[in-house]
Amino acid sequence: MAAPPGRQGAAGSALTARPCDKMAAALRAAAGLRLAGPGHGLVFTRSAFVARKNNYEHPNWFGVGLAFSTSAALWALLFKQHNEDVMEYERRKEASKHKCTGCS
Amino acid sequence: MAAVPEEARGLPPPPLLNKMSAWLGGAGWMAALLANGFSQRPLLTAGVHRQVLLTTVGWFAGYFLAKRTQYVHAKKDREMFEYVRHHPEDFKTAGKKRIGELLEDFIPIR
Repeated sequence: MAAPPGRQGAAGSALTARPCDKMAAALRAAAGLRLAGPGHGLVFTRSAFVARKNNYEHPNWFGVGLAFSTSAALWALLFKQHNEDVMEYERRKEASKHKCTGCS
Repeated sequence: MAAVPEEARGLPPPPLLNKMSAWLGGAGWMAALLANGFSQRPLLTAGVHRQVLLTTVGWFAGYFLAKRTQYVHAKKDREMFEYVRHHPEDFKTAGKKRIGELLEDFIPIR
C-alpha cells in the first residue's frame, strides 16, 4: 500500500487525495512526533534507559521462568492460605458451640 | 496479615472463585493485553508469561480484598445490631393494621 512515486512531498489536493495518501500523511505527522513504529501502527512504549530495538528472536528465558515460577508460587500461597482460613473457621465454629450463646 | 485482623478468621472465608478475585484477575489480564497492544506485539498469543503473572497477582489481591471487605461489613453489622439491641425504644415496629380496620363499615342499603 505504498504511495505511488511522485506524490512524496504533496499531501494531495481534495480532488486527488486517496485513502493511502491520507495514511501516508498521518504517518509522516506521527514520525514527526516520534510516534510511528515499523509498519502501520503507533508505538507508545520506549525504554527510559537504553534505546534498543526489541529482538523477538531471542526470548528472555530468565524473565519468562521467573514470571511462571512467581505465578506458581502465588497460586500455591493462595491455596495454602485459603485452606488455613477454612480450617481456622471450622475450628472456631466447633469451639463456639461449647460456649454459651446468651449474648451475641 | 495487616489488612485482615485476627478476629476476622471467625468469619467464613470467601471461596477461591469469588467476584473480587475474578474482577481483579481480569483487570490484570487486560493490563497484559494492553501492554502487548502498546508494544505492537500479537495481542493474545504474545507474552503469555506476563498475562499469567498479572492475572495471578490480581486474583491474589482480590482474595485478600474480599476477606477484608467481608470483615468490614460484618463489623458494621455487629455494631449496628448491638445498638438496636441496646435501644429497643427507638426501633419499635408499628403495630400491623388488620384489614378490617382499614375498610369502611359495610352498611347494606336495600
